[in-house]
Amino acid sequence: MAIQLLNGVVYGGLLYLLAVGLVLIFGLREVVNFAHGALFMLGSYIGYTLAAAGHWWLGLLVSVVVMAAVGCILDVLVFRSLRKHDHIVTVLITFGLLLILETVVTVTWGKAYLSYPVPKLLAGTVEIAGSPFPIYRLFIIAVSLLVAAGLAAWLRFTRMGLYVRAASTNAHVTSIQGIDVDRLSLVVVGLGTALAGLSGVVAGPLLTLSPTMGNYILIDSFIVVVIGGLGSFGGAFIAALLIGQIHNLGAIHLPWAATMLPFLLMIGILIWRPTGFAGSRT
Amino acid sequence: MTSIVDKGAPAEVRPASKTARILGVAALALAIGIAAPWLVASKLTLSLTTQAIFDALLATSVGFLVLQNGRVSFGQAAFFGLGGYAFGVLVARQLMAPELAFILALALPTLIAFLLGIVFARITGVAHAMLTLAVGQAFYEVAFRWRELAKGDDGMSFELPERFFGFASRHFQDPAVMVVVAWSILVLALAGLALFVNSRVGQIAAAVRDNEERARFIGHDTTIPPAIVYAISAFLAAIAGLLQATYNGYIAPQMFHWSLSGSALIMAVVGGAQFIVGPAIGAVCFFFLKDFAGRFAEYWPAIVGTVLVAVTLLMPQGMVGLASRAWTGRRSKP
Repeated sequence: MAIQLLNGVVYGGLLYLLAVGLVLIFGLREVVNFAHGALFMLGSYIGYTLAAAGHWWLGLLVSVVVMAAVGCILDVLVFRSLRKHDHIVTVLITFGLLLILETVVTVTWGKAYLSYPVPKLLAGTVEIAGSPFPIYRLFIIAVSLLVAAGLAAWLRFTRMGLYVRAASTNAHVTSIQGIDVDRLSLVVVGLGTALAGLSGVVAGPLLTLSPTMGNYILIDSFIVVVIGGLGSFGGAFIAALLIGQIHNLGAIHLPWAATMLPFLLMIGILIWRPTGFAGSRT
Repeated sequence: MTSIVDKGAPAEVRPASKTARILGVAALALAIGIAAPWLVASKLTLSLTTQAIFDALLATSVGFLVLQNGRVSFGQAAFFGLGGYAFGVLVARQLMAPELAFILALALPTLIAFLLGIVFARITGVAHAMLTLAVGQAFYEVAFRWRELAKGDDGMSFELPERFFGFASRHFQDPAVMVVVAWSILVLALAGLALFVNSRVGQIAAAVRDNEERARFIGHDTTIPPAIVYAISAFLAAIAGLLQATYNGYIAPQMFHWSLSGSALIMAVVGGAQFIVGPAIGAVCFFFLKDFAGRFAEYWPAIVGTVLVAVTLLMPQGMVGLASRAWTGRRSKP
């Protein structure tokens, strides 16, 4: 049972890394980023290229840095000009970006499924409650908890975090107060996509790589964001752990309904509270 | 003009001659369609055109929801797949007469959409897009996992019975016949939508789309008219799915997948979702562009993505919007 719960936390942690990127980008730019799953996938492929050559940790670093740069470019070229458009336009445009990124990866790396190596340092298992548990999965839990704690501290205790929270509540009023929201959003969008790259690499050894690998997890992270409430960091954390548990326990105890449960939960929550349980915006 | 959603035609009173004009254009279009198999000799062209018309029907159904309810759906394929699956499964198991299965395959998605519409019409914007995405994927998961239903991921071929609606059923898989059937249905659907937009219910739905609160204050029911729009839209998607399943004699879970919903939405937006004919034109153009770009098939999604980004940013009213602006611009010149 402890193992099952831990596996749920592993998936929940990955979902959190993606969902919090969506929340960051939505908060600053009001962009619902359909391309986030594709960025996750791109990050995973970049990391894979180095990991397959034996440089797993370098792959992680390069992927995070490259994806942060991609995020900054996206912010300047695309998201900045979307400010005056409504949400649905941004959905369509990021959907277009998703198609472009998928093609780039398909052309560069091919369509074949690739398997991602586990770093030597983290190979092997430890015994938890009498059953073996891969060390690598504990690493995933540690990474997501570290990110969650770091992000919470950054948002809570630094001046910049204060600005980010202000801009996420109302970007217009924040800019009237003399804060350069464009510069802030460069950092925030870069951070969001860097987290997509990080989760892409970290999730790599658990999943098989393919150009469509981002779609499935993207839908789950959307569910997390919508359930937690658009723009809510804490909501995303709780919802990610919840969906992680539902995903795993469902797969074991209710296999015929497992993939439906998150959808049903989301439909129920949206009908009950269209803003999600911790959100105030639609 | 930054929005593709809010700027539908404002509710207005239209003269009765409008109805006559719609019917006239529809009759002309029907005549052209019936003549097509005699004018075009190539079976391949006819078959491609038939497929393009199926796409056009699906895009029309997505576009109509944008036009009349101001809602973007990422799950329209649910009704497309449901139409195809209901028919395919019922016919393959010979549970009932194929004609009855045909009617049921249209009625079921329409009814489900009406009931969902009562709830969904309350939800706007991104949450609506996510909700429809979730509902669509839920259907996909059922078709994918439930192997006893229709062989899950592999998809299922089925044989049409000997006779169908009194005709030999091989006609329904002959492009020269099906192109006329599909075209006629598309023309009738577009004419029907044009008439609906001008009807009382259509006008109330437009009023609810523009301002739900005011529509309620002046005493209109704001639940049922949008739900009827959902039902009509699902009905069209179900026809498209049903026709495709009949024509190919094959159903597969991909009929439910959100990428199909997404591409139908793209076609609708590129064609111009503020016009009844826009999505259909967008779909047909996309279909033939895709066929033409076959050599670059590898890059096709990127081409679509680029077109989508360019259209939404540069011409939010789509191809038909651009054409109609060019037309009025030319006429108003001295």
